[in-house]
Amino acid sequence: MIKKAVFWVVTIIVLIFVMGPLLWIYLTAFKAPEDIFTTDLKNLVLFAPTLDNFSRLFTSYPFWLNLANTAIMSVVSTAVVMIVSVFAAYSFARWNTGGGHLLFVTISTRMFPGVVAAIPFFFMFRKMGLIDTHLGLILLYVYFNTSFATFLLYGFFREVPQELEQAAMIDGYGRMQVFRRVVFPLILPGIAVTTVFCLIWSWNEFFFAFLFTRRVARTVTVLISSFWGSIEVQYGPMAAGASITVLPTLLAAWFMQRYIIRGLTFGAVKG
Amino acid sequence: MAQEMTNQFGAGAQSSKTKREPSIWEVLTSERYFKWTLLIPLLLLLGVFMFYPMFYCIYYSFHEWGMQGKAIFIGLDNYRTMLYDKGFLLAMGRTFYVLVICVVVELVIGLVLALLWHRDFKGQNVVRGLCLLPLLVAPLVLSLLWNFMLEYDFGAVNQILGAIGLGKVYWWSPKLALYTICMITIWQWFPFSTFVLLAGLRSLPRDVFEASRVDGASPVYTFRRLTLPMLSPLIMIIVVLRAMWLIRLFDPLYGTTRGGVGTELLDWTVYRTAFVYFDIGYGSAFAIFSLFLTILICALMFRQLMKALGVIK
Repeated sequence: MIKKAVFWVVTIIVLIFVMGPLLWIYLTAFKAPEDIFTTDLKNLVLFAPTLDNFSRLFTSYPFWLNLANTAIMSVVSTAVVMIVSVFAAYSFARWNTGGGHLLFVTISTRMFPGVVAAIPFFFMFRKMGLIDTHLGLILLYVYFNTSFATFLLYGFFREVPQELEQAAMIDGYGRMQVFRRVVFPLILPGIAVTTVFCLIWSWNEFFFAFLFTRRVARTVTVLISSFWGSIEVQYGPMAAGASITVLPTLLAAWFMQRYIIRGLTFGAVKG
Repeated sequence: MAQEMTNQFGAGAQSSKTKREPSIWEVLTSERYFKWTLLIPLLLLLGVFMFYPMFYCIYYSFHEWGMQGKAIFIGLDNYRTMLYDKGFLLAMGRTFYVLVICVVVELVIGLVLALLWHRDFKGQNVVRGLCLLPLLVAPLVLSLLWNFMLEYDFGAVNQILGAIGLGKVYWWSPKLALYTICMITIWQWFPFSTFVLLAGLRSLPRDVFEASRVDGASPVYTFRRLTLPMLSPLIMIIVVLRAMWLIRLFDPLYGTTRGGVGTELLDWTVYRTAFVYFDIGYGSAFAIFSLFLTILICALMFRQLMKALGVIK
């Protein structure tokens, strides 16, 4: 009995600890400034909700435009990444191409410090006029997501039994047909999971977006970060913007919970 | 000759009667070259996006260049300066300090919670779903959020602490700021270690534990001699993956201290040198150093991942 009580008390404390800050975004988003900048304890939770933050965010700042930028870049870069990495992962998984060395080189790009890529690309992009363009950022997102996607898919491809392919080959399928008709349908769940992960990584990305965009191609994370300025901090619009930006990732986390651990461990742990 | 060619490209074996050269498409999808065909896009991408920046960085790390004029070749001077650069060495030390604190605390919390939740209980899926939420939220948004919550006067945390009589804490003081950054990071990532270890516990063979229980081993003994050794590959994976992410900590700094009050970490130093002071040569030297560090840890990580995937023993 006591054991059970302790178990639930600890569990609930952990849940409050995890959920509290996330709920805080949503509470703050609906607060008027006088409720945000208050030292009165009961105002933390009890306040008259208002939509002022949202209307300010939508009228005074290019929020939707920046959100659209983020969305466009995430979707386009993910599409490119998936095309490149599905083929590459299949090659690595089936033939161990490059004896593992090539796969290592691939995964190490995901682990590159962002700054190593940022310095050269900054100057290259400046010369080519790619700073503050959608194309520029898409290229960078392709760069840092491809290796991740390749490695994650590698794990999924390894689960496809080789006998199936051999059987299909005996039935007269060519390599391309085997891939299209046999392997591809089996790998679809893996492709779905990898796609969502790539979308989320580009959606959340800040470092490159912050360095490589100014106005035209500014992403929503950069917009939100600009509310924390040196002169004043606008917590209201910041929370309102964050509450909308974070929503898709929260939904993805909830619906993909079975695959999150697998994705974050590059497929090594099947959660 | 044509005979030889078609035989060489296995797939064309049946059509060897027709003595024609195989088309490019046939060569590309033949048994021999198909695996490389699949890799062409990736190799192109790696060539452009990986080797170009690397060589560029290495090149400029031997030069002095401040965006204007010509780069002056100065040999290893940048690296020599780096070795005596107090700010840089401090940032390095801090990065490792943060790394050790975060990894250790995350592992301890993770192990405790994993052991706690290693049973069937009502609502376990809800608990898991809720706990995993922070993992996919943009780190930048979280750092801004925590910056707000830990604000001295209006921050929720201080108000609650004040109300229960613990007194307000100045979270961003030079003494505490680094630990506050650690706390934010741990808050976001403890579910990761928890659920990796939980997955590990779930996959352990039951009969061994039955046997140890029958033999009358104490729970502590069982944990130390059975559970922990069997979990060690997973612990290894957590350590290398987290080390990998942690040495590149940037977003949590941007939303909070911006490298001030003694929280300047490795990546922030490089960023500041290259993009605030525009000392490209010196910044490149930092970046190259950071790169070698990363590759070293990455090699460790790769081994562990391949082991976990069952590719190598």
